[in-house]
Amino acid sequence: MEPLANGNSTVATATTASPTATSLPSLHAGVPSSKLSQLTDSLKLEHQFLRVPFEHYKKTIRANHRAVEKEVSAVMSGLSDAADLSQDDAVQHLNSLVSRLQGLKRKLEDGSRAEHLQAQRCRARLDHLESADADNISEWNNTRLKRILVDYMLRMSYYDTATKLAETSSIQDLVDIEIFYEAKKVIDALQNKEVAPALAWCAENKSRLKKAKSKFEFQLRLQEFIELVRSDNNVRAVMYARKYLAPWAATYMKELQKVFATLAFTSNTGCEIYKVLFEPKQWDYLMDQFKQEFCRLYGMTMEPLLNIYLQAGLSALKTPFCYEDDCTKEDPLSQESFRKLAMPLPFSKQHHSKLVCYITKDLMDTENPPLVLPNGYVYSTKALEEMATNNNGKITCPRTGLVYNYTEVTKAYIS
Amino acid sequence: MELKTVRDAFDRVAKKQKLSASKYQQVIDQVGDEIKQAMTDIQSADPPSSIDHKSVITNLKRKLDTIIPQEQLEKSQKELNTNLSQYPKILGKFLDTDISKAYRNVDFDLHIVNQIIISQLYHEGLFDVADILINEAQEPEIISLRCHFVEMHQILKALKARNLEPALSWVSANRHKLKQSGSNLEFDLRRLQFLELFQKGNQSDAINFAKTYLSPFASNYRNEFLKLMGCLLWPGKLQTSPYSDLLLPAKWEDLIKEFTMQFCSLIGASSKNPLSVTIEAGAQGLPTLLKLANIMAVKKQEWAAMKQLPVAVELGSEFQFHSVFVCPVSRDQSSDDNPPMLLPCGHVLCNQSITKLSKNNTRMFKCPYCPFEAWVAQCRQLCF
Repeated sequence: MEPLANGNSTVATATTASPTATSLPSLHAGVPSSKLSQLTDSLKLEHQFLRVPFEHYKKTIRANHRAVEKEVSAVMSGLSDAADLSQDDAVQHLNSLVSRLQGLKRKLEDGSRAEHLQAQRCRARLDHLESADADNISEWNNTRLKRILVDYMLRMSYYDTATKLAETSSIQDLVDIEIFYEAKKVIDALQNKEVAPALAWCAENKSRLKKAKSKFEFQLRLQEFIELVRSDNNVRAVMYARKYLAPWAATYMKELQKVFATLAFTSNTGCEIYKVLFEPKQWDYLMDQFKQEFCRLYGMTMEPLLNIYLQAGLSALKTPFCYEDDCTKEDPLSQESFRKLAMPLPFSKQHHSKLVCYITKDLMDTENPPLVLPNGYVYSTKALEEMATNNNGKITCPRTGLVYNYTEVTKAYIS
Repeated sequence: MELKTVRDAFDRVAKKQKLSASKYQQVIDQVGDEIKQAMTDIQSADPPSSIDHKSVITNLKRKLDTIIPQEQLEKSQKELNTNLSQYPKILGKFLDTDISKAYRNVDFDLHIVNQIIISQLYHEGLFDVADILINEAQEPEIISLRCHFVEMHQILKALKARNLEPALSWVSANRHKLKQSGSNLEFDLRRLQFLELFQKGNQSDAINFAKTYLSPFASNYRNEFLKLMGCLLWPGKLQTSPYSDLLLPAKWEDLIKEFTMQFCSLIGASSKNPLSVTIEAGAQGLPTLLKLANIMAVKKQEWAAMKQLPVAVELGSEFQFHSVFVCPVSRDQSSDDNPPMLLPCGHVLCNQSITKLSKNNTRMFKCPYCPFEAWVAQCRQLCF
């Protein structure tokens, strides 16, 4: 079957390659309405693309604002102190306040540079979405694939790959590498069983985490408590609990009680309920939890974009025919790896017949209607006409090898 | 276009941010200046005892309390805050806030996904990126595939620089297989080589070249061959000849495409990368799937157990790899158990529909689409 399948694909190129330059404009004139609406629909999927850099921008603005508020009020209260000093000391104190203000100014300049860069990034994203149109669609789609891949790599913590891919494709402004580096610090620390950076991150984003009713900080505190119990430091564990766990008691009483019971059971307990609390997988769990909180805070999807698009694409492409032996190589589902991924997904559904010519792979529609050979095999008019002109009106069925006259074919009407 | 609304909203945020940033600068400068002024007042008092530094500072403090436009700062900050919280709302209005709603919670095998990505990077010629990924994800290299694609990209690079040699030597190494698949690639390459040579102006070289390399194609590519020979009549002015279309740069692009196809087909790969095909199909299908997910959420239906999507996801014709026949009567997709049948009038229905119409093959039935009547025995099974 192999040489035949190859033969077919060449016929396909021979027919599609010839009319290139001349037929392109007319093709464009016919396509836009449906293609463009499809394009606008797919732009609507780009929420994360616009939202993430904006959240970053917002964060910088807020941080700058807080710095100003803090410093200015510190200077103001510093003034009151100066009044109680001797004259020389007072002057010196005033001088230190002035240099403090200058420091703030420098800091603000850095801050507004960051703000400016981030605003630019937000604009670059809007520009990129606006740049998509029918003429550059394949290039644009290619960039989208690269963006989606970079997102996947960042979420999987493949930072070097992400950076390299973004560099080689010059899409640094279209991906969120810096933002993920912020997560990297926390993730690396959690991998080393350290909670401090994660707690610092929680403090930094306190109000937003609280708004989202996040439990993450509580879970970190529980883990620290468990670690104290593990090291038999019971007194400190109790002190720790008083200080850091008690405030959560109202909301998470049950969990708190459970964790507290470990004081009695200790780390080498055989009791299942408490044993799991000491297992190393708790740290993996914290890491997953952090990734989720992090994505939520920045308005990212919970799943990598790649998985979402890939799954949707596989569902849309999956038909029972994909699993047959003669499935064309051009179908992604002809490949074992794609088939495996598509396994748990539903088949696509069609409301209307869509027939593809076995020989040319062209759609058989009213312009290129299907023709039936006496053996019941169906091919497109274009393919059979070409075969007939090249072979003195004879047609060879590529799948059975039977030879017919072109006059023997009949039309089929597909509605 | 709604993107414009989004952009306007963003511009408002950026404007307010600039405004409040410059206000900060102003306030800081003002406070600094006032303090400096107070310092000079204290220091320049003559004699020093003539001025009470405490009262200067108290005055300064009173003054700063009035000039620091505390409320003003807060006001501009408030306006900025409104805009800051408005922008995400506008984004949410025009875009799908969470496309993972359409995601069914089935875990993809990480290893398979990584292997697919590595193949994709090879296919695109991004070998250095692939190598870093292999290292970072600790995936095995796909050595044979890498070798193939390295070769392909080397030849492509040469072709883009209008160097045909590597492509020609690949073709001659694979002549047998290419012939089996009925490829025109070798002739296309030789034709371009001939034209390049002829364009350079050395006619006898071109004729000698044609004798050695083109004549073997004369019988199989008669028309094309004659055209090339015709070119010889227009030395130096091929551009204005009837054969000028042979010189279009598009010919090179076509050749590159054709070569990629042939190369991929010989190594058993698809010419368009399967990952990009799937992702593109996903981008076209996601809007429909999202709508479906929303409806399913309202109806509280579980779609994890579904065998087939309840709606049709319309994809462009480039994603149509298989013939799908849907019976116009029953709306069922044809299958091995329920094949499409051709009626003598030329209309096509599914076998089950025909059985029903003919009351279990017991009588003649009328075609639902024309006045023709037929027996089941007159219908023929079709194979698309």
